[in-house]
Amino acid sequence: MFRHTPLRYATLAVLAAGMFAAAMTAEYFGLEILTEIAILAILVLALDMVAGFGGMVSLCHGALMGVGAYAYAVLAAKAGLAPPVAMAAAIAISGACSWVIGAICARSHGIYFIMATLAFGQMAYSYAFDSAALGGDDGVSGIPRLDLSAIGIDLNDGQSFALFCLLALAAAYGAAVIILRSGLGRSLTGIMHNEQRMRAVGLVTWRVKADVFGLSGMIAGLAGVLAAQHIMFVSPGLLAWTVSGEALVVVILGGLGTLVGPLVGAVLFVLLKHEISNVTPYWHLVVGVILVAVVMSRANGVFGWIEARVARWQAPRVISSRKEQVKNA
Amino acid sequence: MSQDLGFWAVQTLNALQLSMLLFLLSIGLTVIFGLMHFVNLAHGSLYAFGAYVAASVASVAGFWAGFIAAPIAVAVLGLVLYVTLIKRMRRSGPMPQVLITFGLIFALLDLTRIIWGDLALGIEVPAILSGRVSVLGVEYPAYRLFIIALGAAIYAGLASVLARTQIGAMIRAGVDNDAMASCLGINVERLFFLVFCMGCALAGLAGAVAAPLLSVTPDMGLQILIPTLIVIVIGGLGSLKGAIAGSLIYGFVQTFGAALAPQLSSILIYALLAAVLVTRPTGLFPAKG
Amino acid sequence: MKHTITTAIFAATASLATLPALAEDITVGLLLPYSGVYAALGNDIEAGFRLGIERYGDQAGDSIQIVTEDSEAKPPVGLAKTRKLVLQDKVDVIAGVVSSGVLGAVRDMVDGSKVPLIVANAGNDEATGAQCSPYITRMSFSNQQVNRPMGKWMHDQGIQKVFTIAPDYAAGQQMIGAFVDGFTAAGGEIVGQEWTPFQKTQDFGPYLAKAKASGADAVYVFYAGGEAISFVKQYDSFGMKADIPLYGAGFLTSSLYVEAEGPAAEGVIAALHYVPTIDNAENAAFVEAFTAANGRLPSEYAVHGYDAARALTQALAAGATDRETIAQALRGVSFDGPRGATSIDPATNNIVQPIYVYETVRGEAGLTQKVLATLPAEADPAGGCAMAPAG
Repeated sequence: MFRHTPLRYATLAVLAAGMFAAAMTAEYFGLEILTEIAILAILVLALDMVAGFGGMVSLCHGALMGVGAYAYAVLAAKAGLAPPVAMAAAIAISGACSWVIGAICARSHGIYFIMATLAFGQMAYSYAFDSAALGGDDGVSGIPRLDLSAIGIDLNDGQSFALFCLLALAAAYGAAVIILRSGLGRSLTGIMHNEQRMRAVGLVTWRVKADVFGLSGMIAGLAGVLAAQHIMFVSPGLLAWTVSGEALVVVILGGLGTLVGPLVGAVLFVLLKHEISNVTPYWHLVVGVILVAVVMSRANGVFGWIEARVARWQAPRVISSRKEQVKNA
Repeated sequence: MSQDLGFWAVQTLNALQLSMLLFLLSIGLTVIFGLMHFVNLAHGSLYAFGAYVAASVASVAGFWAGFIAAPIAVAVLGLVLYVTLIKRMRRSGPMPQVLITFGLIFALLDLTRIIWGDLALGIEVPAILSGRVSVLGVEYPAYRLFIIALGAAIYAGLASVLARTQIGAMIRAGVDNDAMASCLGINVERLFFLVFCMGCALAGLAGAVAAPLLSVTPDMGLQILIPTLIVIVIGGLGSLKGAIAGSLIYGFVQTFGAALAPQLSSILIYALLAAVLVTRPTGLFPAKG
Repeated sequence: MKHTITTAIFAATASLATLPALAEDITVGLLLPYSGVYAALGNDIEAGFRLGIERYGDQAGDSIQIVTEDSEAKPPVGLAKTRKLVLQDKVDVIAGVVSSGVLGAVRDMVDGSKVPLIVANAGNDEATGAQCSPYITRMSFSNQQVNRPMGKWMHDQGIQKVFTIAPDYAAGQQMIGAFVDGFTAAGGEIVGQEWTPFQKTQDFGPYLAKAKASGADAVYVFYAGGEAISFVKQYDSFGMKADIPLYGAGFLTSSLYVEAEGPAAEGVIAALHYVPTIDNAENAAFVEAFTAANGRLPSEYAVHGYDAARALTQALAAGATDRETIAQALRGVSFDGPRGATSIDPATNNIVQPIYVYETVRGEAGLTQKVLATLPAEADPAGGCAMAPAG
């Protein structure tokens, strides 16, 4: 089950303060990067929920984000629905798709689960690419952003939109924590550790997996809606499997199953990518080498490494405090 | 459109040709998985590397030199990767190994761009295979028949090695239960090393074989990765039978899909993959029951 | 990628004293793919652009700075980089854009922020049709422009029945669509069409077998890059070139990668707006300068960059000083360049240029392009484009 440690609280506080400060001071392109980080962070939160706490390593979360983005684009730009309605509907649609995928793939494990989700992701990609109604290769343009002028906020301003995305990230994080702490989230982690036993105690395991996968898909859909509003344009590339692959890399770089780690990973990944691509067009090479190095270090990502260090440093005190707890009990 | 017997004969040969190309790629990947329990996502990048080596060598010393050099060069690269990365990660579970190979995809992609540039390369089919052969009354490119024959020969060779030789028995034992095999005195580590290098060599060979047929571009490895993964997952991981069955299914679905239902051809194979995984979650012929 | 390289070129010669004496600082944002499948195209366009600035920059009378950004040929990245160029780097003009997807994505942004964009490749018809903008000027080609005249020309050669094959995406459909319109209007018949999954097709065999069985006199295709190489080789390996000659949009056997196709490309006849063997003095000078600088022949992509730079310098020489005046001046650009008489149609802001029908043949130093016919320049129909006339 997911627990907040002092270190996790501290990291969250540093991240929140840093992002807020960046939103207040950054120049135009800095805000773009910040928005990109916030959207990627929401996506990797969704992925860590299922991969880190349910062992469901999904290679279709990029596609689920794309479903949210396309649903919003079609409903808001083509069908002319009001943006708030279109947002809610888009999140519901990606959640529903996600639930179905989760239910169908629930029997598969390990590499087979990865491949099954990949297959569904690629089907969505091919459909978006070939569908004339979705604009095919050209995508959909002219997507409106949410209109908050009633409360005096213009989301077409880069700074306001970055803050809006940060707020959405905070909400997504809160939702993920609540889900993982609920009975559903605990059942999921139980299934990850021993599915047979959970089934033996009477749990309908596929339902649990599908439900969490569906909720995770809704969060991924939120990331998609924000991405569509940010770029005001969607194209099939959004659903390609490499997007899902990159999201998985971010989760692992940050620290699988720590929820806070993937946030750190998202910040590092986007900053690294931009800094390196300023220096060389071969940024894939550098990112690849860093990824190999992080995995070779055998730590659970950057954040996992820090956690392990802190835990070792704190170890004596933790033991003594446990003793006290035992006494008090 | 008049579609006679000759038309279907050509399409069948096309399907076989694609199947055999995929078989060369998937057999290495699937046996590595069967023994070592991890999926080498960089397999496609090794194939691209093989194609580049073949193209470079062929431009100086002719097709056959490239054909021989590519598997050797890729096996050496595999050896280096095994010693520096894979071996050290043997005990840390499949996920870290998959991620290392994911990192290698990125790194190898840019390395090929740095070494060979962004422009596509091409090599010519050797003179002896550049003509056409009459099959069932239709002209078919000799080079494509060569690919079919090569794939079939390698399948037959591997099948007899696995079934009849001592090393084959050791590999089968390792796939079945590596801990038990190790107890019986089989040097499993050496077996892993051998199989990994062989798998890489076959990927390199596939690259050399594909180079005259396709264009040699930096992203060819990424393009072939997904079809290869689909093949081994449909077939069932770890088995020779699965690899050949998966390759044939993919080749025929893709070719006849393109001939009969072109609108559906891009979705068809994914739908099939999903259907297989729903009904048989470990593929058609998994190595372990 | 953000090499900010300053190409400071000042009006030096006294003979140009008639120009405004004050030199402006003009910043150009080059938005091109430097990674991904179109990286080779991006590099060629940049090489051409820099050569154009070097050659014609002193006519502009301004100091021209170039900022480059990598679009990765991905629409969202291209749009983000465009925003950066406009809002942060505050460039006066943007040039580049290889992929039509990127052009579609950045269209509203450049139109809304009134920043002139010189398109140096992307050929989607809408950009100078229904989606046209007074701020978007195209110095490359449009998909229909390259293919439409080829329909009539092929019919004039006695070809009656054609089978078409192209990748299944917007550009493929527009290229083939324009050819089919021209060919059927001339009296020809399309006996079959195949659309292959874009960038996912390894084996063209199934489609070639269908084309062979169709009884067509010729096959007309559009492919570019890696797919073009695979297609041309596989077409040849089936021995189809002798029975059913291969025609296409000229990207099929572009000089950029024709050597990778090898003998398979010999005899392919295609239509394009530029080949390095066009016989005129401007082209001879361009080919010589480009080859000296880059060690290879220029492709159609290089000439897009070169002419985009030339159009910009001409606009500046005409007195343009800021985004608005540059955009207006670009609409009146006209010169004799490597492609022959080249001008901008102010009704759509699309380029007007001759189309060359060429055959790939073996020359002394490898494969080369033999120009068979020069089809006269023709402005594209407005296609729903309604803009205020150039002011």
